[in-house]
Amino acid sequence: MASARRVAVTGLGLVNPFGGDLSDFFCRMLRGESAIRLYTREDSVTRPLSVPAVRCANFDADAALGRSLAYTMDRYSQLGTTAALSAWSDAGLPRTKDAPRNDWGVSWGTALGGTLTFESGYIELLRNGRERVPPLSVVLGMSNAAASHISIQLGLGASSATYSVACASSAVAIGEVLQKIRSGEATLMVVGGSEAPLSYGVVRAWEAMRILALGDEASAARACRPFNSDRQGLVLGEGAGAMILEDWDHAVRRGARIYAEFAGCGSTSDHDHLVRPNVDGQMRAMRMAIQDGGMTPDDVDYVNAHGTATREGDPIEIAAIRGVFGSRSADLAVSATKSMHGHMLGATGVIEAIITVMSLASQEAPPTAYLDDLDRECAGVRHITGGPLRGALRAALSNSFAFGGSNTVLAFRAVH
Amino acid sequence: MNSDMKQDNLTVLSEFLHKRENIDPARVTPEASLEELKVDSLLLLELLFEFEDRLGVKIPQDIPRPKTVGDLLGIVDKVTAGNGV
Repeated sequence: MASARRVAVTGLGLVNPFGGDLSDFFCRMLRGESAIRLYTREDSVTRPLSVPAVRCANFDADAALGRSLAYTMDRYSQLGTTAALSAWSDAGLPRTKDAPRNDWGVSWGTALGGTLTFESGYIELLRNGRERVPPLSVVLGMSNAAASHISIQLGLGASSATYSVACASSAVAIGEVLQKIRSGEATLMVVGGSEAPLSYGVVRAWEAMRILALGDEASAARACRPFNSDRQGLVLGEGAGAMILEDWDHAVRRGARIYAEFAGCGSTSDHDHLVRPNVDGQMRAMRMAIQDGGMTPDDVDYVNAHGTATREGDPIEIAAIRGVFGSRSADLAVSATKSMHGHMLGATGVIEAIITVMSLASQEAPPTAYLDDLDRECAGVRHITGGPLRGALRAALSNSFAFGGSNTVLAFRAVH
Repeated sequence: MNSDMKQDNLTVLSEFLHKRENIDPARVTPEASLEELKVDSLLLLELLFEFEDRLGVKIPQDIPRPKTVGDLLGIVDKVTAGNGV
């Protein structure tokens, strides 16, 4: 659907699980390097935990935010605020509270919010028999905390909303902004998501679904193998990412660097099953994103797949992609980067959008790591394996297909 | 609680504010305004919680909002005395 205003991506920021900066993260993605490690936890309260996971082990909240501010945040907000401030700086925007920006806002995604705070609170109450929890528990735990902190730190006066759509949370948060900027309601939005889900209870809950990939020290890095015949399931992760989305003319006027154009978005619901994905729902979302972006399937050169490496999900997504792209499917580059950064639940959508945007900006797309034995049921597209795909990438899609059947697809276009 | 071992409440308060907000303990006097010490509503809750924890008391919900350090210590003393400590 054509619109008067275009939307530019002018800033990117994330908390890199490898410990370096944004550029370091993308380089490792291109090389097919996995951030998945064996996460073990043993303390007096819980039974021992041992599961492949992605953690931001080098993240120092006090250093990133100052101890005073970090103290008022659950880890999910610490990660999120850090990513947002990084994207803001990347966009060349000044940290000043002088000018109230009432048409600049926040759109954030998280599946579980301050779940770590809830867990430590429950331990205090139920196991340690305490009568109270610390007074900041509500403001740490509430799911809109990260968006609030970002709004406060950056002085943003437009709407500050948080979307909770399981695995599609931050993709939805990004998508919902498109119309705000196109319509002129907002000039600039800080968008993204954050998740710190590695509490004892959350990990056990996912284990109970029998879809978490198992592993040990040696095999953990390759535990998440989307599209492989022997794929075992997904790997959980914690993380945060943010993008600055801006009215195109506003970006050009202030001389901003434009990574890519955020061209379109498609959001649908499977209305089918709580966990089993649906080909039709996914196809409709991809078609909607392509059309909304003023494109046809022939214009798209790369799809960053949802690709969680579950037995059930991967073939359904490939079938949906083939349904949309038809005879072009064999030439359409596809990769599932969860093979490297894991499934950060609510934060995954923005991390994958960042990877997609950087792929268009650099004209290099990352592989699906460890894809050495393609499942026949996942064949029919051009899987990127081993190292990066270099070539003319004109436009790309980033897919997020959530539990509950919510599908959101983001379409980006390269700029020259 | 053995009152010889009990840390002076003013010291408890100034150490807490130093740790939380890096406030210079020399500024934490009974006359000092809580607002000037940047003690907002949330930090006040944390202070009350800290005293309840340390002294094993329960500060009632309907206390008047203290304006100075002295006001806050007065509330704590009153509750402690009431518990017969």
